[in-house]
Amino acid sequence: MKLSIINGSPRGASGNTEKLLEHFINGFSETAGNSTEKFYLIKERPDFEKLKGVFLDAEILMIAFPLYVDAMPGSVKEFFESLEPLKNKRPDLRLMFVIQNGFPETYHNRFVERYCEKLAKRLGCIYEGSICKGGCEGLTVQPPQLVEKVFSGFHNVGKSFGETGKLSPEVLSKLARPEHLTPENMKLVIPMVNNFLWDGLLNKNGAMDKKFDKPFE
Amino acid sequence: MKVLILNSGGSDSAINPIVRDLRDKLSGDGIETGELILRDMNYSPCRGCFNCWVKTPGRCVFKDDGDVLCREVLHSDYVIIASPVIMGYPSAMAKNALDRIIPLIHPYLEDIDGEVHHMKRYEKYPVMGLLLEKSGDTDDEDITIITDIFQRAALNLQSRLGFVKLTTSSVEEMANEIINN
Ligand SMILES: Cc1cc2nc3c(=O)[nH]c(=O)nc-3n(C[C@H](O)[C@H](O)[C@H](O)COP(=O)(O)O)c2cc1C
Repeated sequence: MKLSIINGSPRGASGNTEKLLEHFINGFSETAGNSTEKFYLIKERPDFEKLKGVFLDAEILMIAFPLYVDAMPGSVKEFFESLEPLKNKRPDLRLMFVIQNGFPETYHNRFVERYCEKLAKRLGCIYEGSICKGGCEGLTVQPPQLVEKVFSGFHNVGKSFGETGKLSPEVLSKLARPEHLTPENMKLVIPMVNNFLWDGLLNKNGAMDKKFDKPFE
Repeated sequence: MKVLILNSGGSDSAINPIVRDLRDKLSGDGIETGELILRDMNYSPCRGCFNCWVKTPGRCVFKDDGDVLCREVLHSDYVIIASPVIMGYPSAMAKNALDRIIPLIHPYLEDIDGEVHHMKRYEKYPVMGLLLEKSGDTDDEDITIITDIFQRAALNLQSRLGFVKLTTSSVEEMANEIINN
């Protein structure tokens, strides 16, 4: 199997999407004969000529992006718009998505997931499914065992897809946990993110005293 | 009360006449209106650096019209995103504008009805409305998906989705939704 991947993160190769993709690719590549190619969406705007070529040629295309205000980032939407003239040109193309987000619950991704399924249909392609995962921001400040779980989860999904050519619902829902947080987890996670991630970054930038600034008031 | 329209329609879009009629109607009722023509503005897509939260809190580091978007949205009571539906979703131009207003909220997380969302940076945020212009391939399912996503987005931006209307709906109806909200 040859898998073509578009990393749709506005942060390109330095973001979380990239790290998750690396683990997916490692798992996928464990099956002999599998190969991948990867492109960065942000480098190809605004005309996306190269990516349109990828769409026309790929065997399986995986589009990965972070959740931005509950949907795809604006730059990813630019790319989707550029595909409009290619509708129904690839009835044999197998299309799949990776949607990952910052908040700890995977549930936030479920709405744009429906959009992605419809997009595949609208383009006249075969929809293989969407890999959704919450809690993907601040991987550097999360406890190592949590991070390891996210990475091995992507490895497993990649491995399973590499072996079977299908996204199994069981593998996907295992990766997606937690879909929602329990009240107990909520009480643990919120101060952890606020203190370690945000205060950590504010401190590093010497901006702690400005954190409640209201510049447009 | 102030109503702001973020108009992402093209110069010949069906959005323009209805926005004009809506503004006339609202002005007639003594409501202040404003409009930003997004195609005439200059703002790049968010690059996800989070500097607007952790380096220059409340303000994007890009020196472009992103500041105008933030200021105008914050100083409105009702913001209507007026957009053509392209490939089943409001335009990239409108989405890029929405991505650029995250400096208005605070990075800190809080529990809102059992889900994690962001805290407020300011006291008050406008209600959101959607005015959509269908394309040839837009169906009811698309409108449902858009509505569901924007309900989530409004919640996430400390706002609430007041209405979703099409360019074929009546101006009176839309004005009433705004006035009675
Ligand atoms: C403009 C903007 C909007 C975002 N909106 C959401 C959101 O609605 N929900 C969420 O859970 N995370 C949101 N995030 C967080 C990203 O999804 C998260 O940081 C992601 O891991 C970034 O991936 P990347 O490093 O590959 O770009 C947002 C981030 C940015 C910059």
